Amino acid sequence: MTSKSDHELVPVHELMSDKEVKELLQTLNLTLDGLPKILESDTQAVKLGAKAGQVIKIYRRDGKRENPYYRTVVEG
Amino acid sequence: MQTEVIDSIKFGILNPEDAKKLSVVKLTVPDTYNEDGYPIEGGLLDQRMGVIDPGLLCKTCGARAKSCPGHFGRIELVRPVLHSEFSKVVYMILQSTCRNCHRLLLSDEHIEEYKGALTKLEEVVVDVETDAIEDKVEMGSLPMLKRLKNMKKCERCGTPKGKLKFSAPTYFYVDDYKLKPDEIRDLLAKISIEDLQVLGIDSVASRPEWLILSVLLVPPVNVRPSITLESGERSEDDLTHKLVDIMRINLRLEQNLNAGAPQIIIDDLWELLQYHVTTYFNNETASIPPARHRSGRALKTLAQRLKGKEGRFRYNLSGKRVNYSARTVISVDPNINLDEVGVPFEIATKLTVPFYVTTWNLDKAKELLARAEYPMVMNVIARDGKRKRVIDLNREELIKELQPGDIMERQLMDGDITLFNRQPSLHRVSIMSHKAKVLKGRTFRMNYCVTPPYNADFDGDEMNLHVPQNLEAQSEAAYLMSPQYQIFSPRDGDAIITNNEDGITGMYLMTKEDNYLTKEQAVYILSIAKVYELPKPTKDGLYRGRDIFSAMLPKGLNFEGKSAKSPFVIKDGKLIEGVVTKETFGRGDNKLLVKIGKDYGYDVLKDFIFQTAKVADAYVTLMGVTVGVKEYTTSKKLEVERVRLLEETFGKIEELITQYKTRKLEPLIGYTLRQSLERMIIAELNLVRDKAGETLLKYETSEDNAAVEMTRSGSRGSVLNIEQMTMFLGQQATLSGGRIKRGYYTNRVLPHIVPGDVRPGARGFVATSYYSGLAPTDLFMHAVGSRSSEVYKALLTARSGYLYRRLSNALQDYCVDSDYSVRDTNNNLIQTVYGGDRVNPIFVQFQKLEAHEKS
Repeated sequence: MTSKSDHELVPVHELMSDKEVKELLQTLNLTLDGLPKILESDTQAVKLGAKAGQVIKIYRRDGKRENPYYRTVVEG
Repeated sequence: MQTEVIDSIKFGILNPEDAKKLSVVKLTVPDTYNEDGYPIEGGLLDQRMGVIDPGLLCKTCGARAKSCPGHFGRIELVRPVLHSEFSKVVYMILQSTCRNCHRLLLSDEHIEEYKGALTKLEEVVVDVETDAIEDKVEMGSLPMLKRLKNMKKCERCGTPKGKLKFSAPTYFYVDDYKLKPDEIRDLLAKISIEDLQVLGIDSVASRPEWLILSVLLVPPVNVRPSITLESGERSEDDLTHKLVDIMRINLRLEQNLNAGAPQIIIDDLWELLQYHVTTYFNNETASIPPARHRSGRALKTLAQRLKGKEGRFRYNLSGKRVNYSARTVISVDPNINLDEVGVPFEIATKLTVPFYVTTWNLDKAKELLARAEYPMVMNVIARDGKRKRVIDLNREELIKELQPGDIMERQLMDGDITLFNRQPSLHRVSIMSHKAKVLKGRTFRMNYCVTPPYNADFDGDEMNLHVPQNLEAQSEAAYLMSPQYQIFSPRDGDAIITNNEDGITGMYLMTKEDNYLTKEQAVYILSIAKVYELPKPTKDGLYRGRDIFSAMLPKGLNFEGKSAKSPFVIKDGKLIEGVVTKETFGRGDNKLLVKIGKDYGYDVLKDFIFQTAKVADAYVTLMGVTVGVKEYTTSKKLEVERVRLLEETFGKIEELITQYKTRKLEPLIGYTLRQSLERMIIAELNLVRDKAGETLLKYETSEDNAAVEMTRSGSRGSVLNIEQMTMFLGQQATLSGGRIKRGYYTNRVLPHIVPGDVRPGARGFVATSYYSGLAPTDLFMHAVGSRSSEVYKALLTARSGYLYRRLSNALQDYCVDSDYSVRDTNNNLIQTVYGGDRVNPIFVQFQKLEAHEKS
């Protein structure tokens, strides 16, 4: 069966490694709770098996560009 | 200084004993002044409660009127009365308790049940403090109270509850026996602490018997100051009047009690006392007549002081008045620059600007201070902060005393930075800084090009003017809020401050391909733009309008943009091709204004807009542009075309209907046959509207038609507007967007229409025009359309205005960081890349923004 997350309008979600997260937070001058949030129960988070405290990177299309968006996974 | 954090505030009910301790005097005489005009001791203006006359000393604290905070007095009521604002609480408690054993009507098990439920709730919602109380009431207390209310007898002693009746505002009956306030108080006093806790009452802060008043606190005199009228007569505050009433009845009641008067008289006086106390708290208590002043005006008592729009909260605490500001009607003046505002002389004499006296400008300051007329100094604020008003008598003295470090407040002068504002202040350009220009007359004058950001017009609008009072505020205003820096909208990069209306029409007419001006005209026009060099004339000694426009362009400008039909080309500061339209200036993909702003700076740009608008106005005035019936008179050819177009469309629709009737109509995907027919008909009608517009432009080619010319230049009106006036009004729509189909019974709009008729005319298509006059039936259709669009407009502005407010409030503190990420005030990340492309639309000249198409 086709999954909804295969639809072209759902951007690519990717789980970041702890090392990547550390670097990201350093470049953005942030702590983890400064990032926007995504629920652990979000379909994409479930699919990736993300746990609270991890960060999901989303490649979203803004017009012709593709930009990374970051979400910390939170409980719920 | 010791500092502590307040973590909670608890309100309770005033204990009569506390009230006695709180007050400094027991009032006994129901009067204010004696014959000598001196406050009576023990009267309502007893000087122990503070004084209001300057010079007198308070008999409690010894301070003068200014520094005495005022002290409470008290009236001891000989018979207690109910507090009307609390009678509902009293009712609730009486309903819930037994009049025999004075316990809650519930048995111990039932009480435990509810207590358990409440503590459980407390555990669950322990973090969410704000919701906790509401949840408790909603889920715990309400069901219990409801049960208590419906109980017929006490579960403990079995005593029947009897019929308890509450009659607003202060009467309680048990089985038709009227409970007296002291009886109620006795009942309430006997309820145990534990039972009160179940009811949600903290008996330390609020014992229920305190709800019944026996001691009435009297507010200090400075809360209810008396006014001395010009005639020397004293006029007392409404509260004082009310308190006199209370004391008078209280005294009479006491006398009657002492004299052993019959019970009926006592009860009557008691009830009267209750009335006065009730109206003292709230003179708008339901179901009792308001207490009135001798003149018949209702008294303004305690609740009225606080309540509503003019009450203490909304009027004095939430809304404060601003100093250094002015407000008046606005009107136009095209001779005032965009960043200027014409200030009436009268206002300029009253508004002041600080002048900081230094060692270096001391002489200049003294010179200014010495002046006794218009630009003069109003106040001098010495270094110790003392403010002295400059009058003729002390001017010499002040000049002598003037030293560096003092601040003088001088009157508003030309060039001073002011903030100009029009409400509602929906976005940042609703307040901009303008330089003052002091003028005759009594209105604020502004350039009409800055009208759109304020959404102002001159049909009676009023605007506010504020004068920033320090150098930091002034420079911030001048550099951040000046109109020249706000020309382009951050929404889509289009110019919000630009030539409009005649300012465009004039430019358009002047720069038309074969437009020539005589020498006189050219000189006149150029003199308005303050250009004193004539461009090269043609062989006939005439001047091209285009060249006049070029003379106003900054030197060496190169630009290529769009015009009405042709490209718009400027080479080396000269207009080579094209005619000026609204689009050329500040809209769409490539804007002349952006180019000038980028290459020559915003000051040049501001002046460019100002000059072109002024010149355009002058040109329009010179040549005359006017709209009359002439503009909307159809030619024979156009009339024929109109009839042909309509016949063609009606024919097609007839055909669609026949196909529908014979089931030959091919339905659209996702629609029923009937819906398909409706959609096809609407499509046809939309098509004929567009076609009519095209034909109109095809036939109305004359350049004498001002209406069409305005449409072409983009300054005012659309083809549709002209079309509706000359050809046909077209489809009238309802609120829901569909064609009109109801209005008369049996599913038709008017009685002339056969029910079920779906042809254009029967469903609100108006084939007549304003020029030809509407057919009687069409007039009704038009009225339906007008009404619904009026209703729609009203609803939409209310809703979208509030939506926009919520949105802009939510976003207002976000800002773009140095790494182009969007952050909030706590530096939290909102968006990694601003707008997805790091582009601020304000600075875009000709990039087509694919990601952010205008919606």
